[in-house]
Amino acid sequence: MSTERAQDGDRNEAASSSRCSESYEFSHAAAKAAVAQVCESVGYEHFKDPALESLAGFALQYILQLGKTATSFANLTGRSQCNVFDIILALDDLTDNGEEGISSESCSLGRSVKLREIIDYVNSSEEIPFSQPLPRFPVAISDKSRNLIPSFVEIGETPPGKHIPLWLPAFPDPHTYKETPMWIERVSDPRGDKIEQARQRRKAERALLSLQRKLVCKLSSRNTVWGDLDGVKEEMREEESDLRSVSPPISEEKVESLNRDGLSVIEAFAPAMEAARDGFSSEAHTEWKKKKPVALSKLRTEKKFLGQPLDLSLQMKGEDRPLSFVREEDRDDKRRRAEFILRQCMENPVDLNQL
Amino acid sequence: MNHGQQSGEAKHEDDAALTEFLASLMDYTPTVYFPFIPDDLVEHYLAKSGFQCPDVRLIRLVAVATQKFVADVASDALQHCKARPAPVVKDKKQQKDKRLILTMEDLSKALREYGVNVKHPEYFADSPSTGMDPATRDE
Repeated sequence: MSTERAQDGDRNEAASSSRCSESYEFSHAAAKAAVAQVCESVGYEHFKDPALESLAGFALQYILQLGKTATSFANLTGRSQCNVFDIILALDDLTDNGEEGISSESCSLGRSVKLREIIDYVNSSEEIPFSQPLPRFPVAISDKSRNLIPSFVEIGETPPGKHIPLWLPAFPDPHTYKETPMWIERVSDPRGDKIEQARQRRKAERALLSLQRKLVCKLSSRNTVWGDLDGVKEEMREEESDLRSVSPPISEEKVESLNRDGLSVIEAFAPAMEAARDGFSSEAHTEWKKKKPVALSKLRTEKKFLGQPLDLSLQMKGEDRPLSFVREEDRDDKRRRAEFILRQCMENPVDLNQL
Repeated sequence: MNHGQQSGEAKHEDDAALTEFLASLMDYTPTVYFPFIPDDLVEHYLAKSGFQCPDVRLIRLVAVATQKFVADVASDALQHCKARPAPVVKDKKQQKDKRLILTMEDLSKALREYGVNVKHPEYFADSPSTGMDPATRDE
């Protein structure tokens, strides 16, 4: 069976070496493979390529001639679709029968020599078993693309326009040629957004005010400071958590407003810190020192929030941006001032201690 | 009358045989190996020539007819190949016609009987016997 496998290899090479860019080339290669298999069944072991190609060409021409003659016979009788008798007549037409020629009775089996020959051939050849697989010809050999695109009727669509008949292939889906946004478009409610924003701002302000009040109270009553330092810290942490609980649901725009409020905390701290510097004793300073890390940590968390607005989100409206830039500059100034003040406070208790 | 009746009976028999034959053609669907020429290929070329028929049996008939044609040509060429005198025996083990190769010469000889003139041009045109009838040339 090695020769047969060599045949297979030759055939496959012939089929694969031919360029499949055109449908003609592919069908020609397929015909070559089929013809090679027929020749092998006859008894050949090897082929010469030009001989095989010309024989495949002849086979294809035979098919074409048969088809053409059969069609002309059908057209002669006024039909467009061909009959078995048309084919029989065409077969007789192609073979050189000599004196017999085509008579009116040659349509039948008895008269058609060629058909009898074919029947004998079929009956004789089915005795020989073939163990080789026939090369698989894909369905794409014939142009089936027209069957892949269903018509309007098959889809159940009405064509967009009265001039398009229903039996034509349907249009492709709009998502294949239209660019659609990748995100889910939420219905924007500017008024609702503003109301929500104001409400959250008010909530944040309330929390900050209460924090400020408590700090001032704690500062004014020095006696309770030492013992209640932890309590103060706890209160501050509560306020922080309040602020933080408010901040996550807020979008970046609202965080900006929060930062503004946060810096107002620093502003609130600033006069208090000056007062502490002027009038308070060292105990107050140490208190302040202890409170400062918490405040500083708060400041640093605020700074983190400041970093976020730079992330451009799709919700960011363009009109807000120039205003926010102005506010950023103010915020920078305020931040620098607050930092300066804090640094001074930190230095001063050091000096005081040294004193 | 008798002749007419006889021809009528013959026609009935012929028709029955024909339908039987067509039915037998369709029986080959489950087996892969016959006919060798796939239906898709035949249908493609028939459509090219204007042959329109939804019946698969007719396409198989055409495929079988083509296969018979190719087999006839190939068998004729094989006979020509075998009839050619054996090559010079160098070894005692070498047999006659060990290689059965389908060549253009055999093919042209076989096709000439079918009325097809195929002449493979010579590669080298330097001998004085180039282009002459191959039957008169010595190989």
